[in-house]
Amino acid sequence: MINYFDPATNTTSNKPIDFNKDYGTPASTSTQTVCLEIDGVKITVAAGTSVMRAAAIADINIPKLCATDNIEAFGSCRLCAVQIEGMRGYPTSCTTSVKEGMVVSTENNDIAKLRRNIMELYISDHPLDCLTCSSNGDCELQDMAGAVGLREVRYGFDGDNHLDAKIDDSNPYFTFEPSKCITCSRCVRACEEVQGTFALTIEGRGFASKVSAGTSENDFSSSDCVSCGACVQACPTATLMEKSVIDKGQPEHSIITTCAYCGVGCSFKAEMKGEEVIRMVPYKGGKANQGHSCVKGRFAFGYATHKDRVTEPMVRDSIDEEWRVVSWDEALGFAANKIKNIQAKYGRESVGGITSSRCTNEETYLVQKLIRAAFGNNNTDTCARVCHSPTGYGLKATIGESAGTQTFDSVMKSDVVMVIGANPTDAHPVFASQLRKRLRQGAELIVVDPRTIDLLNTAHISANHHLPLKPGTNVAMINAIAHVVMSEGLEDKNFIEQRTDEYNAWREFILDEINSPEAMESITTVNAEQVRIAARAFAKAKNGAIYYGLGVTEHSQGSTMVMGIANLALATGNIGREGVGINPLRGQNNVQGSCDMGSFPQELPGYQHVSDDVLRAKFEKSWGVTLDNEPGFRIPNMFDAAIEGTFKAMYVQGEDILQSDPNTQHVQAALSSLECLIVQDIFLNETALYAHVFLPGSSFLEKDGTFTNAERRINRVRKVMKPLAEFADWEVTQKLSNALGYPMNYQHPSEIMDEIASLVPTFSMVSYKKLDEQGSIQWPCNEEFPDGSPIMHVESFPIGKGRFAITPYLASEDRANKRFPLLLTTGRILSQYNVGAQTRRTANNTWHQEDLLEIHPNDAEERGINDGDWLGISSRAGDTVLKAKVSERMQSGVVFTTFHHPISGANVITTNSSDWATNCPEYKVTAVQVEKVTSPSAWQTRYKKFSAQQKEHFKRSPKKQKATIGS
Amino acid sequence: MSSSQIDNLISMLNQIANNNNYKKTDEETAMIVANHVKKFWARSMKANIIKYADSDGSQLSPTIKLALAQL
Repeated sequence: MINYFDPATNTTSNKPIDFNKDYGTPASTSTQTVCLEIDGVKITVAAGTSVMRAAAIADINIPKLCATDNIEAFGSCRLCAVQIEGMRGYPTSCTTSVKEGMVVSTENNDIAKLRRNIMELYISDHPLDCLTCSSNGDCELQDMAGAVGLREVRYGFDGDNHLDAKIDDSNPYFTFEPSKCITCSRCVRACEEVQGTFALTIEGRGFASKVSAGTSENDFSSSDCVSCGACVQACPTATLMEKSVIDKGQPEHSIITTCAYCGVGCSFKAEMKGEEVIRMVPYKGGKANQGHSCVKGRFAFGYATHKDRVTEPMVRDSIDEEWRVVSWDEALGFAANKIKNIQAKYGRESVGGITSSRCTNEETYLVQKLIRAAFGNNNTDTCARVCHSPTGYGLKATIGESAGTQTFDSVMKSDVVMVIGANPTDAHPVFASQLRKRLRQGAELIVVDPRTIDLLNTAHISANHHLPLKPGTNVAMINAIAHVVMSEGLEDKNFIEQRTDEYNAWREFILDEINSPEAMESITTVNAEQVRIAARAFAKAKNGAIYYGLGVTEHSQGSTMVMGIANLALATGNIGREGVGINPLRGQNNVQGSCDMGSFPQELPGYQHVSDDVLRAKFEKSWGVTLDNEPGFRIPNMFDAAIEGTFKAMYVQGEDILQSDPNTQHVQAALSSLECLIVQDIFLNETALYAHVFLPGSSFLEKDGTFTNAERRINRVRKVMKPLAEFADWEVTQKLSNALGYPMNYQHPSEIMDEIASLVPTFSMVSYKKLDEQGSIQWPCNEEFPDGSPIMHVESFPIGKGRFAITPYLASEDRANKRFPLLLTTGRILSQYNVGAQTRRTANNTWHQEDLLEIHPNDAEERGINDGDWLGISSRAGDTVLKAKVSERMQSGVVFTTFHHPISGANVITTNSSDWATNCPEYKVTAVQVEKVTSPSAWQTRYKKFSAQQKEHFKRSPKKQKATIGS
Repeated sequence: MSSSQIDNLISMLNQIANNNNYKKTDEETAMIVANHVKKFWARSMKANIIKYADSDGSQLSPTIKLALAQL
């Protein structure tokens, strides 16, 4: 039979998805297709697709209220009723799946009458204040009233109604106005299905049914709500609405960009009015987040325009002086002169810099290039030093590439998920939501963590294993797990034979009785049988995936532990396909990128070692300089050399080392020893209190560039407003380089990416053009993988075969003893981010105004401690004072705190103890004593005084500057 | 170079050695330590520890001495 082209035959199965359109129900994952006819149009779609979605794909938009495409169909509003040949009545198109040969009518007089009646009932209990309503212009109820041609409400408005229901505005970012609620339960389902928190519910029945946060005594802020905003996004009316939209009205244009908080790297539509961001709405086309977000990304962007932003360059000769506001040229000239003079006096190696994991790839690349080419040494490092440097070392040694092996989406194919030393619900919330979704579908969870993290409280999950080990004993635990795998014959022999090397030596090592769970029990304090059960579950899973965080890396054996994790993945054959893999959860938005871009002192961009003459020559040719062939200083080495007096100047971009690095008093001593500290940041941060030059930075909203997330995904960052201080960070670095006499002349960040692509083999086919076409790219992206690499190591490893590493357990040097009997471990909470510079300047402070010391009831009782008592915490590095929070999340003997507020001095207590291979600090194990006190610590008193003094230096200067300009 | 700085370098070297000496001879461990230091340590750190080894070296274990001899 000959087929002729017929415009009415619309083959839609290959039509690209429009991520700005709501298709009503989620996409089907089926690979089989079904043909049907809707309103005379022939349509081919994936089996399992709803009639509503099939119609929407063909641009036949069936009216709907309770349906939206990020939650399952519910069929409660019945507005989407259609007629289907051979079916009785009016089935709802959202809950009806397509079938081969189905014939559907979406519009006729009967359907129209039915829909109008439905809308009439809805509107009879809805305020008619459309013109003054906050969702005017963006209201699905209003749209549907229009679509069905509603012209009258015959029932009047005098009967019982909900129009007087009280507004709940307890959440700082959105209001809940129940008088406008149509009880479609989209918010409730979004909270369950998208976020996985189950904070919302429909309370009551029939006419009395209403949306409720928690129990009837709760409001939003006192409920379990984590303020992710999925409900606000799902709401078809003004019931749940961003306060910013209520205040300012509907946005008029939007730009797709990437969040600058954690390593998940969510895509957002920045919805704008002119240059003002009205709201951030997660973008459905973002492959990392698929339309979801957390409280930080969606709501906590106000810091970008906070009054504390410093927008003029400043200089001073000594930190005892007031800041002088100067022109850009003067500031850069001042900085360049100081650097040159210092190098002339103390030598080429007396200066260095720190790249930022919060800035873009292009900016990070430029800073390390400036250090290597303009400073002429390799004294460059980045905050990955204090978080994931052991990942770089450990993964490179075992699987040949220092990056996670999967996409986030891969977790949807995992059968057992092992989470080690990570707290994703707080630190990587959007990934946690996806993980919880998979756990609700039946995957098993193994948590290896000293604390009872919230993930363990996931609703509706089948099997949980918690191995609550003592801090500092990770390697003992991973060896015990691998021992079980090997001694019980659960290894993947095929994979080991075909894909690995150095197996026999490792096998002999791991089978040694010292590594058995029974032998390790006295070290880890975890029951051996529990370990065996968890190890068997992992090894027997079809797909076992490992996710880990800083609870793995920030130890004296951080690198060993990363290798131990790789051993386990190799031995069980869990690498090289979907659902498995080794997944480091990266802390900051661009920490993967900053590592990739050559921030480490021993490696040029793309992890190319400085001592390799061939690799170095490539850079020397491109950059037109001779490069040092010896590694430079790592951050702690810079501090040591500063105190020693041989290291005299630093250029620090977007990184608050004074607050974030361990042993604060040591860092203070180092920074005070510098003759020139150049800080480039959006705020006068803690480090800047010791600076001589302050160069105003730009937020992610003010520049173009790219961030690379934890799944190696390069996402575009797009400028939505002008830089408040005139220049984006890459422009400032370029100007500084020019002032130093090393010319840089990029017109746009895309040119920097082109240079990166020419020098880094795993980036060779990355370009802005390709990024715009594909939306994002997961490296490697080169001749071998032209579209990027969602899953790595499918056929082989970059080093050929995976290498088993021998990983003996060694105890942390900072052991608990009589003087310091407790172990302190530090971490994050959901509402704050890292040093808090951004989130403390938003309403997120509502949830976490101060850092607290969490202590187990047994330890508290022993010391007569109650909630809210002031506690002195001392270690061999220093002491500080925090308020107590008695909590069973900790095991006895372990205390926990966050480091989001500078006054807390959490890092005054942490020590110089660090990972043997990378010097990554051992934040997660500090031996401490805790006792009740009545006054702040000596450090805190000094800090307050110094901080107040520095504020004075800053406050008075601009006035002086105005006088200078006038004169 | 102050003694605390030297102490710090020595403890870093010992840490590297202790994490790489499982069923290895002193010579094998020394080679791993030497390679690690070559690959990751800055020029002045290497110079400082070598200077110490040449001038005093009393705090260095035999393995570390072997390693430093290879730099």
